[in-house]
Amino acid sequence: MIKPILYAGLPLMLTIGAASAFAADTIKFGVPVPLSGPYAAAGTDILNGAKMAAAKINADGGVLGKQIEIVAEDDGCDAQMGVQAAQKMVDGGVSVVTGSYCSGAALPELVALHRAGIPYVLDAATNPKLTSMGFDNVFRTIGRDDEQGPFAAAFIADYLHAKKAAVIDDNTTYSKGLADNTVQALKKDGVDVVYYDAITPGQMDYSAVLTHVASLKPDVIYFTGYFSEAGLIAKEAAALHLKVQMMGGDATNDPTLIKTAGPGAEGWIATTAPLPQFLTGAKDFVSDFTKKYGAAPGPYSVYEYDAVGVAAKAIADAKSTDPAAIITALHNIKDYQGLTGSITFNKAGDRATAVYITVVVKDGAFTPGMKLSDAGKWVPVQ
Amino acid sequence: MSEFLQLVIAGLTTGSFYALIALGYTMVYGIVRLINFAHGDIFMVGAFLGWTMLSVLAAGHLPWGIALFIAALLSMAITGGLGVFVERFAYQPLLSAPPLSILITALGVSLALENGILLLFGPGFKTYPHLISMAGFSVGGAQISHIQIGIIILSFLLMGALYLFVHHTFIGTAMRALAVDRDAARLMGINVERVIQITFFLGSALAAAAGVMEGLYYTQISFFMGFVVGLRAFTAAVLGGIGNIPGAMVGGLIIGLLESFSAGYISSRWTDVIVFIVLIGTLVIKPTGIFGERVVERM
Repeated sequence: MIKPILYAGLPLMLTIGAASAFAADTIKFGVPVPLSGPYAAAGTDILNGAKMAAAKINADGGVLGKQIEIVAEDDGCDAQMGVQAAQKMVDGGVSVVTGSYCSGAALPELVALHRAGIPYVLDAATNPKLTSMGFDNVFRTIGRDDEQGPFAAAFIADYLHAKKAAVIDDNTTYSKGLADNTVQALKKDGVDVVYYDAITPGQMDYSAVLTHVASLKPDVIYFTGYFSEAGLIAKEAAALHLKVQMMGGDATNDPTLIKTAGPGAEGWIATTAPLPQFLTGAKDFVSDFTKKYGAAPGPYSVYEYDAVGVAAKAIADAKSTDPAAIITALHNIKDYQGLTGSITFNKAGDRATAVYITVVVKDGAFTPGMKLSDAGKWVPVQ
Repeated sequence: MSEFLQLVIAGLTTGSFYALIALGYTMVYGIVRLINFAHGDIFMVGAFLGWTMLSVLAAGHLPWGIALFIAALLSMAITGGLGVFVERFAYQPLLSAPPLSILITALGVSLALENGILLLFGPGFKTYPHLISMAGFSVGGAQISHIQIGIIILSFLLMGALYLFVHHTFIGTAMRALAVDRDAARLMGINVERVIQITFFLGSALAAAAGVMEGLYYTQISFFMGFVVGLRAFTAAVLGGIGNIPGAMVGGLIIGLLESFSAGYISSRWTDVIVFIVLIGTLVIKPTGIFGERVVERM
C-alpha cells in the first residue's frame, strides 16, 4: 500500500523541489519572439531589449532579492509554433511572459497563457483583437492599430487647425482600416472630410488624383498607405505646387520616401509609434544597446524593455512571483515611468494614453515632431 | 479648365509610357502570335540597367547630360540584346509548338526575370538620382514640368521612328510580310529567324527607353514594377488592336487619359474598373480593337 503512494508522490516532490530550487535563484520571464524565418532579425532585436532590461534590474539587486532570468522561445511568427512556445514556457515555470512580434503568433500564445493563468505583456503586436477578447492576463506597452486614426485626426484638428481634410488609402487591409478610423475620428473632431478615396499601388502616377484633390482645397492630405507610394505622392504634389500639408500613417515613416521624393519630401508629417531615437528617456538605452549589440535598436526593443520593466515592477508590488498576483498588480500599475513614457493600463490591458507621435521630414531626414502630453497638450517630442 | 489641362498632361505622360511598352507587345504578337507576358519585366530590367549605368557613370564624374545619354543608349542596347536572348532560347524552340506551351514559357521568363533582379539587386526600392529638376511652367493654371514635355516628345519621336522603320525600310517590309504569312515569307527568301530577332530587339529597346524615362521621372524602381505597368500596356495594345503599331500608340495614350480622367473626375478607386469597361465595350463593338483589321487566329 505504501509503494504506490511513494511512487505517486516522488515525481510530485521532485517537481516541487526543482521548482522551489529555481524559484530561490531566479524569476523566469518568458520571451516568445521569432528567432528563425524572415522576421528573425526583428525578433532578436526585441529579445536583446529584454536582456538589456533584465541586466539593468539585476545589476540594481533584482526583484524581491532574486535575479530575473530571460527564457527565450522561438515562435517563428507562426500560430502553430506560437502555441508550442507558449506551452514550453508554461511547462518551464515562467512567472510572466513579455514579448511578441507578430499579432498572428501572439494570439494563440495569449490563449494558451490565459488558460494557464500567466500574464502576457505584449511589446509589438498591435492588432486590436488581442486586448478585446475579455482576457484579464493581457497587457500591451505599444499602441493599437485603431488608436492611430484618432491620434492623426486629433493632430489634424487640434494642432494643424485644419478645417478640411482629404484621406487617401491604397485598398490594403491595414491602409483601409487606418483610413476608416481616421475619417470617423475627423468627422467627430469637426473636420470636413472633402475627399476619401483609394489609389492603386504600383501605378506610379498619382498626379490626376492629386489634381482632383487640390481642386477641393483641403488643408491636409492624409495618406494611409506605404512609403513607396507616399514618396511618389509627395514628389508629384510638389511638382503640382500643391499648397497642402502632406501627411501619412506609420507605414510612410521610411527613408525610401525621402529618397524617392527628394526635396518634395520636405515637410511631410508621419504619425508613428515613437522610435527609440526620438524618445528623450531612451537616449542612454540607444547608446548602451548600440555599444552592446553593434547596431541601433529596432523600433520595438524599447517597448520590450518597458514590458520587462513594468512586469518586474508588478512583481515587486505584489511581493510575490505567483502569476495571479502579478496580473492583479499589473492592473494596479499607475504611472510607471518607462522609456516610452508613463505607463498605466486600462481595463482591457492597453495603455491608458496613446503613445503615437508625429515625425516630420526636415533637411532630408525624419526628425521628431509633436506628441500629446499627459495633460492633453501638444508638446514637442524633444 | 486648369484641372482639365492638368489631367490631360498627366494622362499623356503615363500614356506615353504605356504606348512605348505596348509597341513591344503588339510587334511580337503581330509577327509570332505570342502574347509576351515577360515584356513588362523587360521594361523593368531596362530601368534597372539604366540605374546601374547611371550609378557607374556618375562615379566617373561625367557631366550628367552625357552620362544620361550613354546610360539610356547602353540600357536600350543591352535590354534589346536580352530580348533577343530570351527569344532565341525560350521562344524559338517552341515557335511551331502549340500556342499554350509558348504562353506558359513567357510566364516562366517573366518570373525568371523578376526573381533574377530580386536576387541581384535585393527586394528594396532603388532610387534614380534626382538629375532632372521638377521645375516647369504654368499654362492656364496647370503646372507642366519640362521633364513631362521631354517624355512626351521623346516618346512620339521614338514611335515615329519605329513607324518609319517598319514602313520604309527593307527589314520593316520583311516584318510586315512575316505578319501576313510566316511560311510564305520564308518561301520568298526572308530570313525569318533574323527578322523575329530584330523585332524582339526593337520591342525590348523601346521598353528599356520607357524604363529609363520612368526611372528618371518617378525616381523609384523595384523588381515588381513591371507588373502593373505591363498589364496596362498590354490592355492598351489590345484596345488599339493587337498586332497594329499605330493602334498600340493610340491605345497607350487612350489608357493614360482614361486613367487620368477617371481618377480626376470619377473616383481613383474605380480606375481599373473604368479602364476595363471601356476595353470590353470596345471589343464588343469591334472585336479586333480600334485599328485591328485581321481576325485573331490563335489564342
